[in-house]
Amino acid sequence: MKTDVPLSERSAAGAAGGKRRPFLIENPSVLIFMAALGLFTLGATLLSEGMGIGFFSTSFVKTLGKTLCLCLIAIAMDLVWGYCGILSLGHFAFFGLGGYMIGMWLMYERTKEIVVASFENAPLPPTPDEVRDAIGVQIFGVVGGAEIPTIWFFADSLFMQLFFVVAVPGLLALVFGWLAFRSRVTGVYLSILTQAMTLALSLYLFQNDSGLRGNNGLSGLQNIPGLTHLSQDILSIYFLWASALALAAGYLLATYIVGGKFGSVVSGIRDDEPRVRFLGYPVEAYKLIVFTISAVIAGIAGALYYPQAGIINPAEIAPIASIYLAVWVAIGGRGRLYGAVIGAALVSLLSTWFTGGQAPDIPLGFYTIQWVDWWLVLLGFGFVLVTLFAPSGIGGLIDSLVRKKTP
Amino acid sequence: MTALLEVSNVSVAFDGFKAINSLSFEIGRKELRAIIGPNGAGKTTFMDIVTGKTRPDEGTVTYGEDDTKTRNLLRLSESAIARAGIGRKFQRPTVFEHQTVDANLAMALRNRRSPLDVLFYRRTGDDQDRIHEIATEIGLADTLDKSAGTLSHGQKQWLEIGMLLAQDPKLLLVDEPAAGMTLGEREHTTDILKKAAETRAVIVVEHDMEFVRRLDCKVTVLHEGSVLAEGSLDHVTADPDVIEVYLGR
Repeated sequence: MKTDVPLSERSAAGAAGGKRRPFLIENPSVLIFMAALGLFTLGATLLSEGMGIGFFSTSFVKTLGKTLCLCLIAIAMDLVWGYCGILSLGHFAFFGLGGYMIGMWLMYERTKEIVVASFENAPLPPTPDEVRDAIGVQIFGVVGGAEIPTIWFFADSLFMQLFFVVAVPGLLALVFGWLAFRSRVTGVYLSILTQAMTLALSLYLFQNDSGLRGNNGLSGLQNIPGLTHLSQDILSIYFLWASALALAAGYLLATYIVGGKFGSVVSGIRDDEPRVRFLGYPVEAYKLIVFTISAVIAGIAGALYYPQAGIINPAEIAPIASIYLAVWVAIGGRGRLYGAVIGAALVSLLSTWFTGGQAPDIPLGFYTIQWVDWWLVLLGFGFVLVTLFAPSGIGGLIDSLVRKKTP
Repeated sequence: MTALLEVSNVSVAFDGFKAINSLSFEIGRKELRAIIGPNGAGKTTFMDIVTGKTRPDEGTVTYGEDDTKTRNLLRLSESAIARAGIGRKFQRPTVFEHQTVDANLAMALRNRRSPLDVLFYRRTGDDQDRIHEIATEIGLADTLDKSAGTLSHGQKQWLEIGMLLAQDPKLLLVDEPAAGMTLGEREHTTDILKKAAETRAVIVVEHDMEFVRRLDCKVTVLHEGSVLAEGSLDHVTADPDVIEVYLGR
């Protein structure tokens, strides 16, 4: 294999001085990334309906915000796959769990507002129990229940549910990773296990008695309790900003992790795991930490995504979603954080365009290509092309361009 | 107890085939030792056992860092054994090709290995000096910034030896260090190994008799998983059993 060191890794490994220089000088791509992200966010805000000239519809602003969340989970995926060599095909389980955790609070509190409002004309003010019962009927009537399940115990606490956004995916990754890594499950076997994990979670959530409304999922998540006086036009901008901020923070964190000596060890594990072990590094602990951090980032991305999507159901966690994620990162270029971001943004936006019915059909006379059906074929074809002709993805092409200019 | 490593009555079988058959072996704290033997004699399995990659079916392996402290290596994981001070060089040079020579050496440098320590690691002046010192010793001082994948085969071998020196192990296991090296490089390797053995124990597994002769040390001959003969090279090559094993094939 040719030595195709990503620019980011090359500079992070330390130049002639050897000593670790200031973070931004070591990682010039961070500044470029932040500037691009800032400009994008500013531009989208100025073009939006809520705060700008109204060129972008609110639903398009939401699409952009969601895309930023997908970029964030792509960073998480790149961290674990591109740098640590763990091909996880179950990251959307963490993403979905993050969404469910925040969704519980959103739905509970929103329903509570409605229930309390409906009691306004009642002769006697409702007791807390009555309110709770009414919420139970409202939320769980659809799955034939009225009891609020135990897992909703903290649903009225934003603080606790935010904690769960981080803790639940983190804990699942910790336990799953601990079991898998200590048994030295690697490569394709690990990928299959992660697929099984996300499939099992999805099937479990499909059940009505899972306590999360079965295949109905959680809905109405775009209504933010306490902020109902704000229109969706404005809220969509807030969420765009929050997503951009989270993406920036995720990018910084990931850059720090993969730079320096920790990054050396992690990519060493990717390239030659036994060798790192014989250097005395506890490989399993490193993998577990990277896997868990990555799951937490995915959870946060999900918690920002679903309020913009408005609805979450178990189909979101289906194995295919996580496979798409791997495709985005592969097309963008794994082992390069900006590559993952580019891949996720490009492919998911293209996917929205093609499957949203906006792409013009191509009449061939005997047959009409309708992109809603043919987009996946195109994506698969693109994936094959990238794998064959640009194995380091779009990010790799950028790297080689930069290198030509600065020999 | 004066031995650094004491292997006694160790046996291991793979699918019924006894790769190691009640092998006993000892090496002192500052000693150079060559292990020779025909293919399948159990040389690599022996190294796998010492470094924790393979668990023996029976027997004990004890490691005495100093006179007061001895440890049962069979209880430790590979990485813990490496941290205890046992370094291993593989037959095929295995350096991290996607990283610079500098990063390769820095990773091997004797420092704390836990994830948190490594995450917040800042390179000290001492570490920097040590890396330069080692790079000079292995002739790679000018290539510190190059990615290891661009090195020649011989240079990769050097880099791997440099990484072992950076680990500063108490026991060094070296598998066929001279493979693919030119005559000059072999001499340099011999010097480095001899010098390393002044302060630590070094075990060299080698096929090449000329190279072993140059090392000028005690030799252990393995055959069918146990020790066939032990002593100076002249002594073992005069042993009728050894002649039988080597020439009778």
